[in-house]
Amino acid sequence: MFQRLSAYHFVARAVLALLVLAATESTALAVPAFARKYQTSCQTCHIVFPKLNAFGEAFRLRGYRMPGETAEMVKEPPVSLGAPAYKQLWPDSVWPGEISSAVPLAVNVKLGDVNASTLNEDGTVTSVKNDLQFPREVNIFGAGTLGDHVSYLAEMTFSENPNGSVTVELEHARVDFDSPFGPEDLFHFRLGKFAPNVADGFQEMWISTDAAIDSVFAYNPIGINGGTGLAGDVSPSPIALPDRVRGIEGYGMINHRALWVAGVVNGVGPSPTDTTGRFDGNNAKDVYARFDYKIGGMGLDGDMGGRPAPEKNWRDDSLRLGVFAYRGDASNINFPVTTEEGLNTNIQDAHFLRTGLYASLFFKDLNVFGVYLHGSDSLQTFDAETAARLGTVEPDFHAWFTQADYLFYPWLQGSFRYETVTPADPSVPSLRTGVFNASALIRANVKVMVEYQRDLRQGDNHSLNALLRFAF
Amino acid sequence: MIRHSTFLGAAVVAAALVAPNAPLGAAGSAISGTVKVTGLASGADAVVYIQQAAGTFPAAKPVEMDQRKMQFIPHVLPVVAGTTVKFLNSDPTPHNVFSPDNEKYNLGTWPQGQTKDHVFATCLKPPCVYTQLCRVHPEMEGFVVVLQNPFFAVTNKEGHYEIVNVPPGAYTLGVWHAKAKAQPKPVTVGADKPATVDFTLGR
Repeated sequence: MFQRLSAYHFVARAVLALLVLAATESTALAVPAFARKYQTSCQTCHIVFPKLNAFGEAFRLRGYRMPGETAEMVKEPPVSLGAPAYKQLWPDSVWPGEISSAVPLAVNVKLGDVNASTLNEDGTVTSVKNDLQFPREVNIFGAGTLGDHVSYLAEMTFSENPNGSVTVELEHARVDFDSPFGPEDLFHFRLGKFAPNVADGFQEMWISTDAAIDSVFAYNPIGINGGTGLAGDVSPSPIALPDRVRGIEGYGMINHRALWVAGVVNGVGPSPTDTTGRFDGNNAKDVYARFDYKIGGMGLDGDMGGRPAPEKNWRDDSLRLGVFAYRGDASNINFPVTTEEGLNTNIQDAHFLRTGLYASLFFKDLNVFGVYLHGSDSLQTFDAETAARLGTVEPDFHAWFTQADYLFYPWLQGSFRYETVTPADPSVPSLRTGVFNASALIRANVKVMVEYQRDLRQGDNHSLNALLRFAF
Repeated sequence: MIRHSTFLGAAVVAAALVAPNAPLGAAGSAISGTVKVTGLASGADAVVYIQQAAGTFPAAKPVEMDQRKMQFIPHVLPVVAGTTVKFLNSDPTPHNVFSPDNEKYNLGTWPQGQTKDHVFATCLKPPCVYTQLCRVHPEMEGFVVVLQNPFFAVTNKEGHYEIVNVPPGAYTLGVWHAKAKAQPKPVTVGADKPATVDFTLGR
């Protein structure tokens, strides 16, 4: 029975995967509200935005506070919501806080000129030339601190659709409690919807390409014999290393050099047939953890150990190594799959594990980084009509990518990324993709990108996009 | 007659005239200097004072701390123990004054134009710092710093201070700031021989 069910057309599946590959965009943040608060340039924290330099990474990890921050660094004094002396009066008074004197909003706008070629299932090729997606996306951010030990980030993204409608997504909405106790920066806690630090260093604030790292963040493990490709807009949300989570995370830095991360999150969302209104697809929580160590360069908290910071603030000769793991439970969440024979089934991933290694090397103007990811799943297939269990498989897959960023000038960066994923279903060959990107800052807050993405297995799938991004 | 002031007059010290019972030198001299506070743009509002001077010092005339534009003015007010501080409300909105420090007090809430007095009678271990808060407006904050003697000054926005008419002698000079600290320093003042003492305060 099971062998018969597994008789998919792998070619069709691979094409689907590639279509998705060309369409998935990375998400990234650059928050000019901080430039206003500190009266400083974007380059204080970013190399070519949104990619962070070591100082920006420390600023982020410290809860949007500069390393060694003093009151005189803040050029836009906050509004007091209570004199500090009220701390002595608690619980007989409200613990004092503060807010920024200016509304801490920032806007990112992205315009795109899209040229794409896509191989269809029937063997034809669809070409799109100079599709002016003006605008492609607008992001509105709010970010800052709320007095001692509290910070926040909220982001809404507006994406315009071809029919003129607009899709709105709340990408971030989180509050952080930064060093509420213990040694400074050893304990931070955040809750809300956020990009988990399990992907610190290789997602969101570090990826300057427009294309996302689909091999790591978009692999869909669902299939009779395991996953066959990328997920795209599959609902419920795909079982992958998540780029956004709803939950609680703790993280901190140990002795300037080590980073620990641990989180408990909702995990996979509800199936389309779930009418409870819940955000979590089941009652089980997913958990993740990470540990990094950085050798050389600036400490993760900005500590330089008495050494002067490099004159060129994008340089940070260092090696950072990390290990991470994400364990999820998608039991009782149905992923409908129709077999080639027309049998409607539901597949559930009873539990899954993603483990990975991360490395990032900075040497002068070059940054090479990458991730190896191994995944294992426990897939249970049920007859959609009778709910009878048809079988269980426990497939494995692995994926990896490596990216090199080179800064030719402080305003010009070239990037190349190679990524591959070997799906669990042995009938599907590995997906391999190459991405070339040239990013130029024509102003500190205005970036022009030219990006070429190519399916290295099927040359008819490729795209060449020109993008303009600005932030204010 | 002893007069204490701030250099360049940026901050007003209201307890201006004190008649000490202790014999003072015929001709006092001055102690001046600069206070820097690490991490702050301004060294203002630090109180520089002689920790212990010989003799006893009666209370000065009453001094005033105003509540104006939702602020305690002056922000920092040093006084000799026993001094009465008159808390004036110059705002059209009611203000309250209370302090959670030392013996604690709450003077109540009163409208524009009225004052309430409080006597800072004793201070066993100077400086005795009383944070002034307003229940109606929690962001308001001021400080009354009670000292043993009238030889003190408040730094201006450049961090400068000057204590004048200091009797010749050897003293220990302390400094108080709401957000930073520094160790006291010895100072010797001779007749017509001013001294300079600078401080750098840290967190």
